[in-house]
Amino acid sequence: MNQTLTKRKKLKLESDSGWGYAFIAVALIAFCLFTAYPVINAFIISLQEYGPLGSTFVGLENFANSFSDELFWKALKNTLVYTLLTVPFNIFLSFLIAILIIPFKKRTQTIFKALYYLPAVASGVALAVVWLWIFDPLKTGIFNQLVGFFGVSNQNWLGSSATAMFSLVLMSWLSSHGTAIIIYLAALLGIDNSYYEAAEIDGATFLQKLWFIVVPFLKPTTLFLLVTGVIGSFQVFQNAYLMTGGGPDHATTMVGLLIFNNAFTYFEFGEAAAQSLVLAAIIGFISFLQFKFIGKDVEY
Amino acid sequence: MKKRLRVLTLFLSVIMMLSLLSACGGNGNNSTASTDSGNSGSSNGGSEPKKDTITALLPPVTGNFQARFTEMEKEFNEMYPNLTLKIEPASWEDMTQKLDTQVNAGSPPDIAWIGSTGLSKYAALNVLLDLNPYLSDEVKADYDAVPLQSFQLGDAQYGLPAYMEIHSIGGNKQFLEEAGLDYKSVQQNGWTYDKFREAIAKGVVKNDKGETTRYGFVFATSGVTSKDYLGIMAKSAGLPEYFDKDLKYTYTSKNFLGLLTSLRQLIDDGSMPKELSSIDAGKRWNMFLTGQTMITGKGLSSFENSARLNNEKIKANDGSAVANSIEADYIVLPVPTFNGADYVPTSVVDGYIALRGKKDPSEEHKQNIALAMTYLSSGQVAANYSSEIFTTPVTASARALEPAESFERNADNVAASDIMKSKAIPARTDIPTDLAAEAIKIETEVIIPKLQALLANEITPQQMYDAVKAAATKSFGADGVVVD
Repeated sequence: MNQTLTKRKKLKLESDSGWGYAFIAVALIAFCLFTAYPVINAFIISLQEYGPLGSTFVGLENFANSFSDELFWKALKNTLVYTLLTVPFNIFLSFLIAILIIPFKKRTQTIFKALYYLPAVASGVALAVVWLWIFDPLKTGIFNQLVGFFGVSNQNWLGSSATAMFSLVLMSWLSSHGTAIIIYLAALLGIDNSYYEAAEIDGATFLQKLWFIVVPFLKPTTLFLLVTGVIGSFQVFQNAYLMTGGGPDHATTMVGLLIFNNAFTYFEFGEAAAQSLVLAAIIGFISFLQFKFIGKDVEY
Repeated sequence: MKKRLRVLTLFLSVIMMLSLLSACGGNGNNSTASTDSGNSGSSNGGSEPKKDTITALLPPVTGNFQARFTEMEKEFNEMYPNLTLKIEPASWEDMTQKLDTQVNAGSPPDIAWIGSTGLSKYAALNVLLDLNPYLSDEVKADYDAVPLQSFQLGDAQYGLPAYMEIHSIGGNKQFLEEAGLDYKSVQQNGWTYDKFREAIAKGVVKNDKGETTRYGFVFATSGVTSKDYLGIMAKSAGLPEYFDKDLKYTYTSKNFLGLLTSLRQLIDDGSMPKELSSIDAGKRWNMFLTGQTMITGKGLSSFENSARLNNEKIKANDGSAVANSIEADYIVLPVPTFNGADYVPTSVVDGYIALRGKKDPSEEHKQNIALAMTYLSSGQVAANYSSEIFTTPVTASARALEPAESFERNADNVAASDIMKSKAIPARTDIPTDLAAEAIKIETEVIIPKLQALLANEITPQQMYDAVKAAATKSFGADGVVVD
């Protein structure tokens, strides 16, 4: 009797496992087709001089060409600068906004969440058009009118090397927080009230509660946002492509834009694939460092 | 119940996957259908011609062009009952990217629309079809020689021209007269850089605070127009092509430095805005219509009509007129000449190319592509779109026909356009594709970025010249560039 029960349980378990495998298979097939296969194919293309009617094997020449290309290094530097200027500030700003929203009632929170998430729903191209209008270089431009109040003459925001990168960074600072705010709000709601109550009994100030309770509890969320933010920022393409085209004088050429140009302007798919793989390796290495040094005491 | 739910979920997941896969396979299927029909078209009893489908990817050349696609497909099928012309519309923004993706995937359309300057890019990939064996002398004779040659490389005829336009500049008639410029003389005889510089300086208007309210000249240099300004001016600065007859790169000559110095001077004079590097095509046209500039570039013949339509809206107090715009009569003007060189207009020849995918199409299919391309680039089809873009057709057959719609034109502008067109020089067919590709790379990676910096006053003309010379010497060698 006991043996029969065990057998039934085992069968049930195997049956459940079967369903599990079936469901995983769907996602796995999608992953293999749309992620793994392109990555493997990109590696193969990176070793070739690619042509639509036939490719030639060139070994590591595309990698060597990339590493000896000054523009590739400049694009990497620009991407790094953009990442350093945008990711930490955006995370901090999202955290700050989430902290400001959390005391409100649920309905008010929802309104704020919707408002901050709205730019994420809008088309990136439409947003870029609006920003182009804001950065209008003539004195009728919105930012130029704004700085005009302080006696500053009109600036060629996107056309000058001195201001082009800052303009893209400013655009990022002011328009891409919706997702991070929602994630932070969800994490904040997950902190048990008893911690705040205990801190209040101990006479903790607002800032002390923030530093000793909120910040440690949000560390896994912050790490997640940092890693995904750095990955997204290293892959930035759209803003540079639509706003400056990489100019002036390559001041805003990011690696993503350079890869796009190599692939679709010069048809050098081999070099573009090589640069994509180098970029992926850099992102992987930075993510590893983030997990190693920031994520070592993070528990999930 | 639980099991049913699982089955349903799994079923929906599989359906989702299959939808994704079928969406991915869409383009390839089209192409295969097209190519297969060319390779193995079904025979209807031996003597009858085989059925075939020709695909074409075409942009909105005019406002009405794409609206006529169904009509064109039907008419073509009536002319050749065994053939089906399948036209896929694309927006101007998508056109190049869509075509390039299809070409690199090995499944391009049979016919695609490109500017003739892009010919070498596709030739380098060996995806172009030489139509010479399929175009009779009679068909070729229908086309004007200069535009026809624009679609040749070596002896191969890779496509057929749709129209030829001249990139010029255009002025506001009232402002030109106020500046004391005899524009009719300029239209007929052209002008030198010095005369032009003097004229646009007179066109500048300032307010009481000393702020410029109207510039003498504004040219779009940002976005898709980034390479136009320098390229158009260089033609009349003794640099008609990137390569001279000995295939030496020409932008290393002193003429290039002279041109850069002149272009910077126009900004330093205050005749052009210091923010020129950020002014795109839409902005400079807005500046023209709102009276913020006397002359604008680049210009096309059709701009006369755009200005006229806006004038009519202003007169009718129509709210859709450009905000703050004024009535402006558009006057076609040639670009000035630099360095004492002759005037060489930038002729823009757009048209159709024939493409192949991974499979080489059958002879019969190639013949059918030539038939479809001839239909699209001549006769009534060409007469209609040429009229709509204010240009004279490049085929005798189209010139002989009345277009579906005719437009009023300024006689002086028509005469000026004809003079400029008469000076157009045939396209070079002797430049090897690898040299052309390298020149395009220098243009994109060095010339355009440095020009933006020059216009923003971040580098000097000499620094830009040195950067271009260094890049060209690296690419073509010291013997492969002009030294003077």
